[in-house]
Amino acid sequence: MSNRTLPRLLQTPAVVLLLMWMLVPLSMTLFFSFIRYVLNNLRRPEWTSPDIANWRGFGNYEYVLYQAKDFWFAVQNSLFIVGSVIFLTVVFGLAIAVLVNRTFPGRGIVRVLFISPFFVMPAVNAVLWINMILDPVLGLNGLAIEGINNTISTLQNLPGIGSFFALWPEIEPLSFRATQTSAYAVIIMVTWQWTPFAALIFMTSLQSEDQQQKEAAILDGAGVWAQFMHLTLPHLARPIAIVVMIQAIFHLSLYAEIEIVSRGNGNKNLPYLIGEFASNNIGAASATGIMAVILANIVAIFLLRIIGKSLMD
Amino acid sequence: MSPFVRSSRFGTFFWPILAWVLALLFFFPIFWMVLTSFKTDADAVKPEFLFFFTPTLENYFNMTENYDYWRFAINSGITSVFATLFTLSVGVPAAYAMAFNPSRHTKDILVWMLSTKMLPAAAVLYPMTFLTKNMLGLFDTHFLVILVLSLINLPIVIWMLFTYFKEIPKEIIEAGKMDGVSFWGEMGDIVLPLAWGGLASTALLCFIFCWNEAYWTVRLTTTDAATLSKLIEGNRAPEGLFFGRLSAVSTAAVGPIVVLGWFCQKQLVRGLTFGAVK
Repeated sequence: MSNRTLPRLLQTPAVVLLLMWMLVPLSMTLFFSFIRYVLNNLRRPEWTSPDIANWRGFGNYEYVLYQAKDFWFAVQNSLFIVGSVIFLTVVFGLAIAVLVNRTFPGRGIVRVLFISPFFVMPAVNAVLWINMILDPVLGLNGLAIEGINNTISTLQNLPGIGSFFALWPEIEPLSFRATQTSAYAVIIMVTWQWTPFAALIFMTSLQSEDQQQKEAAILDGAGVWAQFMHLTLPHLARPIAIVVMIQAIFHLSLYAEIEIVSRGNGNKNLPYLIGEFASNNIGAASATGIMAVILANIVAIFLLRIIGKSLMD
Repeated sequence: MSPFVRSSRFGTFFWPILAWVLALLFFFPIFWMVLTSFKTDADAVKPEFLFFFTPTLENYFNMTENYDYWRFAINSGITSVFATLFTLSVGVPAAYAMAFNPSRHTKDILVWMLSTKMLPAAAVLYPMTFLTKNMLGLFDTHFLVILVLSLINLPIVIWMLFTYFKEIPKEIIEAGKMDGVSFWGEMGDIVLPLAWGGLASTALLCFIFCWNEAYWTVRLTTTDAATLSKLIEGNRAPEGLFFGRLSAVSTAAVGPIVVLGWFCQKQLVRGLTFGAVK
């Protein structure tokens, strides 16, 4: 066997598998997005099987874009969730990375504690947060508010100084199961899970920071903040870009958290909307899917360019 | 850190303490889950038993009865182990060939492989259901879950392995070639022993990702091949009645993985940034 053939043969299974994985379902989605295809329709049974005769052109796209009331809401909500999570994880991740980037007692344990949330399975993360922590009655959220209210009413009942507290209101616990607030719940839990990811990458990157430059800056009298802004932050520019884009891609397809926290309460993102359409209107689900692919690709192109550049270093 | 970067006395105490406080805060939800798993369902929602209560192992003993835990755990275990093995058996040769015998197209192939990871899964949800349910009859089988888990992790595994193989000095291979070592000998006797650590952490990370996967395992299974993600997702709203037992089953589902994760946290960066941050 020649020097070229064997390496090529070794790659073949991986390439073929991924090619099939990418092409087969995606071309089916593309096809379905151009035909009328529903799972149940008693009056038009011919629409219930995928058939080229039911060609609809861009009809499904028009339906999704202009008539289905949830599409724009889902896009907006997807971007809101992704944007908030990225912002929060980068800020927290930077803070943690800078904090841990010095020697102190128990640093190893602190690292381990910080990284742990990342390994919790998403389903458990969502169930844990929405029930045991954020529940307005039985979760820690509810218990804490109840505790505060009890303290206030005890103070109000004190003889003498009680009247001083008379006007303090009773606090209502915030429910995280409504449409808007459950988006906040999703943001909280995903931020909790992904901050370790950002922190870990920044920590790794900080270790390669030029210390001599930093010492020079200190000798020149640069403060901690100036050092961070003019040395550390520029050094972290590429890791930040990578963290932002990887998270954008992962969180645009966020699903388990939405499914668990928001099922049926109106909060939805694109993958969840696709799941809803897919329970009957396959044409619309596929059209939405194709648009989600386009959205993800816009981010992916930038990310792949950065990664491709660093590949051969 | 260098001795120059020693700030005030205030700083030497304050920053480590802040780091500890934040770390404990971050870990708190996990701690809370573990703590609640030792409470009875009734105690779990009573404010007076928040931190001081009579611990019980009841929730752990009743996991089978309450949730049929082991059936789901075994499904998770089987699918994750076999998916990891399959991914490695396809990924190792591919990464090996690309690292040691790169061609003009290697870079493009690698980037393309990664791009398959970036397709939103939801876009192909219905075709996958259609294919597996109506055409192939694979819906809700271990085979399907293993296949899908392998496919979604293959790009990451190849990338991780590629970065490990790249670090092995080419000279060693050249020396082997001079000595007339065959291709297979080169791979089995020279490279794999050197890359053993990288291989192990890649496998570990792949296993973790398989175990935690929560889109396809939920949407492509019902009962026979249902994994722990499906089990937890199915009990999403216990309405405060079962906090104790749900915590126990959650702890059992994530505990081993979190501990495994501690051991491969350093390699995680490589796996997640595709070698772009080292």
